[in-house]
Amino acid sequence: MESGTSIWERMGFRKSSGVAEAGWGHTLVVAGVSFIYFLPVLFIIFTAIKPQALALSVPPTLSPTSLFGLIPDQFVFTPTLENFGSVFSRVMTAGGQPEPTGFDRFFFNSIVIASVSVLLALVLGTLAAYGFSRYPLKGNDTYLFIILTTRMLPAIVVIIPVILMFRAAGLSGSYLGIIMLYTAFNLAFTIWMMKSFFDELSPDVEDAARIDGSSEIKVFLKICLPQVIAGLAATFVFGLILTWNEFLFALLLTGPDTRTVPVAMNQAVSSGGRGTDWTLLAAIETLFLIPVFLVTFFLQEHLLRGVTFGTVRK
Amino acid sequence: MSVTPVTSVPRTARTSPALLEVSADNWRLAILVGVVVSALGVAALPASVSFWIVGAMAAMVAAAFVVNAYRRRYYGGLLVTPAIAVLFVMNIFPLLWSLGLSFFAYQSNQQSIRFVGLYNYIKVLTNDIAAPDNWNALINTAMFVVLTVSTQMIVGFLLAMLFAKQFPLRKYLLILVLTPMMLSVVASGVFFTYYYDPTFGILSYVMNSITDGQFILMDSKAGAVAGIVFADAWMWSPFVMLLVLAGLVSVPKYLYEAAAIDRVSAWRRFWSITFPYIRGLLMLALLFRTIEAFKLADLVILLTKGGNDTMTISYHLIRIANEQNKTSEGAAISYVMLFMVIVLTNLYLYLAKRRNREA
Amino acid sequence: MTATTKIKGVMAAAGFAASLMVGGATISYADEVTLTMAVPDWPPTRIMKKFFDEQYKPKSGNTVKLDVDFIPWPDFYTRVNASLTSGEQKYNFIVSDSQWLGAFVEGGYFRKINDLLDADPEFKKTFMEIHPNPLNAYATYPHKSENYYGFPQFPDVLVNFARKDIICHEEEQKNFQAKYNKKLPCTGEELDAMTWDDFRNVGEFFRRKKGEMLAGKPAEDDFYGIAFQAGKAYDFSSMQINGFIWQMGGNIWDETQAPSGQAEGVVNSPEAVKALETYLSLIEYMPPVAKTGTMDIFKEDELFREGKVAMAVNWIGLGEASLDPKTSKVSDKLVFGMMPGTKGPDGKMVRWSNIGGQPFVLTTWTTDAQIKEAVEFVKWWLSSDIQHQFAAAGGQSAVKSVYSDPKYVTYRPWNRAWAPSLDWQKDVWHVPQFFELLTQQQDQFDLAITGKQDAKTTLDNIAKFQQNLLTEVGLIQ
Repeated sequence: MESGTSIWERMGFRKSSGVAEAGWGHTLVVAGVSFIYFLPVLFIIFTAIKPQALALSVPPTLSPTSLFGLIPDQFVFTPTLENFGSVFSRVMTAGGQPEPTGFDRFFFNSIVIASVSVLLALVLGTLAAYGFSRYPLKGNDTYLFIILTTRMLPAIVVIIPVILMFRAAGLSGSYLGIIMLYTAFNLAFTIWMMKSFFDELSPDVEDAARIDGSSEIKVFLKICLPQVIAGLAATFVFGLILTWNEFLFALLLTGPDTRTVPVAMNQAVSSGGRGTDWTLLAAIETLFLIPVFLVTFFLQEHLLRGVTFGTVRK
Repeated sequence: MSVTPVTSVPRTARTSPALLEVSADNWRLAILVGVVVSALGVAALPASVSFWIVGAMAAMVAAAFVVNAYRRRYYGGLLVTPAIAVLFVMNIFPLLWSLGLSFFAYQSNQQSIRFVGLYNYIKVLTNDIAAPDNWNALINTAMFVVLTVSTQMIVGFLLAMLFAKQFPLRKYLLILVLTPMMLSVVASGVFFTYYYDPTFGILSYVMNSITDGQFILMDSKAGAVAGIVFADAWMWSPFVMLLVLAGLVSVPKYLYEAAAIDRVSAWRRFWSITFPYIRGLLMLALLFRTIEAFKLADLVILLTKGGNDTMTISYHLIRIANEQNKTSEGAAISYVMLFMVIVLTNLYLYLAKRRNREA
Repeated sequence: MTATTKIKGVMAAAGFAASLMVGGATISYADEVTLTMAVPDWPPTRIMKKFFDEQYKPKSGNTVKLDVDFIPWPDFYTRVNASLTSGEQKYNFIVSDSQWLGAFVEGGYFRKINDLLDADPEFKKTFMEIHPNPLNAYATYPHKSENYYGFPQFPDVLVNFARKDIICHEEEQKNFQAKYNKKLPCTGEELDAMTWDDFRNVGEFFRRKKGEMLAGKPAEDDFYGIAFQAGKAYDFSSMQINGFIWQMGGNIWDETQAPSGQAEGVVNSPEAVKALETYLSLIEYMPPVAKTGTMDIFKEDELFREGKVAMAVNWIGLGEASLDPKTSKVSDKLVFGMMPGTKGPDGKMVRWSNIGGQPFVLTTWTTDAQIKEAVEFVKWWLSSDIQHQFAAAGGQSAVKSVYSDPKYVTYRPWNRAWAPSLDWQKDVWHVPQFFELLTQQQDQFDLAITGKQDAKTTLDNIAKFQQNLLTEVGLIQ
C-alpha cells in the first residue's frame, strides 16, 4: 500500500480521465463523514471535562472553546479535569471525606482479564482455524457450526450452570475463572474469522514449500501466519473490544477484587442516591476508552496493510 | 473455496496400541481410567475436590488424544482439540445443562425439580397467557434483526469503500469511525437516553428550535424503534466496515495489475476480483451481526424498558429466567430462539455455499 | 520435536499461572469473624460501613470484620438473585427490597430470626421498637405474620418536594388564588394539607412555555408544575399508583387475605379504576418524558434538581442530592411536605402510601459464630445513638424513640413529614410470585401512562392475570 495504485482504483472506480491518487479533496470528504460519525463520542468526551453543574444545561453546552467566536457563548463551557479525579476518589456520603472508589483496581482488572483472555483465544483459535482449514476432519462443517452456536444464545441462559460450575471449582471471583470464560467467549469468533483468512490463501505456495522439504510447522509459521497478520490484528481488535465491554459474566462471576470497569461503571448510573452522574460516567468511559483506542490505533497499520507477502506474487 | 488435504507428505502408518498397553497415546485406556476415577471421585469426594479430579481426568484424556493425533499425524484433530476443550468446558457443557433443564419444571429459587418432558416448550409456544408475549417479542426481534443488520451492512460497506483509498490523514480519520464500537454499551446507551431526552436532549433541542413544538422521539413505536436501531447501527457499523476493509486490502495487487492489462470493465473487476476476497468476510459480518442482533437487549433496557412495543425476545428472556427465576421456562424459550437462529444461519451458509459453487 | 516441547512449555506456564491466580483468591481465616454483606452502592450503606469501621467495638472481644460488597443499584437484584439461587452462599447479610422476602424465604435463603429474638430479650425490645408498618413490610413473611426476617437498613417513604421560590412567589400566589379560589400551598403545613386535586391545580397552573413569566422572571425553559413516578422499569409506577388506589378506597390483591381474597373484582373495582384515572389525568401536567414511559424516580429527581418542575412526589432516599448545591440548582429553595392525600367521606384526610426502603436480612448458611456477632452488630445498628447519627448523616430511622425525639426533625427538612407518614404506609405483595405480578402490572400501567389503553382495560387485564397466576399457585382458591 505504500506506493502504487490505491484499492479504490484497483477496484475499478478510477475515472478514465486518470484522476490522481486520492488527495486532500478526498480527505476533506472523509473528514466530514468521520467527524459526524464521531460526534456522539465527542460529546461524551466533552461531558467528561464539563463542570458537573452544566451536564444537563439547556441549551446543551457543546464545546470547551468558542473556536474564536464561531460558537455562541451559550454553547461553550469552561473545561475542568475534576471529573477524572472523581473517578478514583470522591465523597460517598453527605459531608464525608473523599474515599477511594477502587477504580484503579477495576482498570487493572479489565486490562489483565481482557488482554490475557483475548490472546489466549487468539492462540487457541488460530491453531484450530488452521486445523479446520487445512486438515478438514470428518464432519468439519458440523464442528464449526457447533462452535458458532455457542455464540447464539444470550449469556443469561448459561449463567446458572456456569455459576454452579464456578462455585464447585472455587473459580468464582478468581481471575482464572473469568479469563477462561472469556477465552471460550472469544473462540467462536476467532476460529471463524481466522478460518476465513486461511481459506483465502493459495495452497500452491504451501505445497511448493512442502515439496522443498519444509515441515508442517514451518509451513504454518513461516508461510501461512505472515499472510494473515491483518486477520490476526482484526480478530484481536474485535475480541478485545467485545471482551473489554462484556458485562453480564463480569457482573456475576467477579468479586470485589476482580471486578471490571463495565460493572463498576454503573456506580455512575445510579450514583450517590440519585440517577446518572453524567460527568462522572463520561469521565469513566473516556478513561476506559483510552487503552482499547490506543491498541486499535497501533494495530491499524496491520489492519490496513495489504497482503503483499512476497511468495504470493508470481 | 475448498482446500484439499495435503497428500504429498508421506505418512507413516502406526497401529493403535492395544487397550491395556500403558502408552501415552492409548486414548482408549485413558478414557477408561478417566471415567472410573471420575465416577469414584464424584461419588466419594465433595464437589469442590471432585470437580478438579474430573478436570484432571478430562485433561489426561485430551492429552492422550493429542499424543495419539500427533503420532499418527491427525494434524486436524491436534490443532482443534485445545480450542474445543475450552469451549466444551466453558460453553457447550453449560448449554447442554440448560437444555436438560428445559425438560424439567425447575425454578432456580426453589428446591424442587420435576421432569415434565416437552411441557415448557408447549407452554412457551401455545399457552394463551405466556405465549402471546413470546411471539410478540419474537416478531419484534425479527424486525430489529432486519433493520439493524441491514443498516449496519449498508453503512459499514459504504464506510469501507470510503476508506479503501490511500489519502492523507487516513489512519487518523479511520480511528474516529471505529471508536463507537469501543464504547461500553452501558455508557453509550445511557448517553443515547440523554440525546433523545425531550427536556435535556440535543435532538429535541434542535427539533424544537426548528418546528416550535415539543418533539418527543420515543413516544411512539416508530420513534422508539428508530432510536434503538440508530444507536445499535451507529455502534456496530464500524464492525462491518472493519471486516470489509480487511478483505479489501487483502486483495493481491497482481490480480488488479493483470486485470488492468486485460482492460476489464470496472464492474466486472469488482465482481470477479474484489468481491471474492470480501465475500467470506461479508458473510462473516452478516452472520455475526445477525447472531448479535438476536441477542439485542441492553439497548432496549436502557432506552425503552421494552415500552412502546419494543420488547425483544432476549430481554423477555432476562425477565423470565433472571428476574422471575423461571429457569426451565427460560431455557425452553432460549432453545426455541436457538432453533430459529440455527435455521437462519444455515440458510445463510447454504446460500453462501451455493454462491461459492457458482462463482 | 520442537513443537511438543513448546506446547509443553506453554502448558506448564499456563498451569503455573493458573495455580497462582487460584491461590491468590483463597483467604486464610485467623481467629476473627468476617461478616460478608451485599449492599447497593449508595450513601445509606456507605454510611453504615463507615460507622462500623469507625465506631463498632464488638462486645465479645473478637475481631469482627464487615466485608461489604458495594454493588451498583441498577444491577443489585441481578447480582444478589444470581448469588442466592446458584447456591454460591457468599453473603451473610443481604440488603433486600421488602418485596423480595417471599421469593427468597421460600427458596430457603433468608434466615428466620424469631429464635434469635427470643433468646435475647434486649434484642427483641429494640426490634419491637420499630414502627409496626415498616416492621411488617421489612421483616414479616407471610406478610403481617409473626415470622420475622429483616431489620430496617434504610426505611423510606414518598414525600412532596416543592420549590419555595416558585410556589411562595407573591404574584403566583395572587394569580392562583384568583384562578382556583384557593391558596397556593407554600409552607410545609400547607403542603401537608394538599389533596390530589390541589396537586392537579398546581400542575395546570405552573405549565409555562419558555419565555413566559414564571415567579416574576421569564422562564428560561419549558416549565412544569408537577411530577411523580410514571416509569415502566422495576416498580416505578406501581409504587405511586398503589397510593392512589388505597386512598380512594380501592385495594390491590391482599396477600393477608389469601387464599380467600380475590384479585378479580378487587384489583379492578370501580374505586381502583377511578383512582387510576385520577393518576393518569395528572400525567399531562408533567414534563414530556412522562409520555415515553421512562419517567422513573431518577429522571423525576433529575428534572426537579435541574429546576424544571415546581413540585415532585418522590422518595426521601433521593432527597440528599436536591439539598447539595453541587448537584442541585434548587438546593436553597426547598420545602417538604407529606405526599398529597384524598379527603375521605368524613372529611378527614386519607393518606395511604406505598412504603419504600430496604431491610437487611441474615442468610441461612451463616454459621453460629457469625450469627452471634451479627446479632450484636444489628443491636448496635438499631441502638438509639447510632440511629441518631445515621439520621444526622442523611439516613432515616424507623425506631420510635429515635424518630419521635424532637431532635429528629432538625436533621433534614423532610423529617417533619416522616413520623406522620409512617402511620400511613402499606406495602405491595411479598409472595414469591412478586416479580411476575410486578412485571405484568408495570407493563399494563405503562400502556395506560403512554395513552394506549384506558384505566378500566388496564386494571381488568391486571386482575385477570393475577387471578390466573395466583389460582395456579394456590394463593387464591
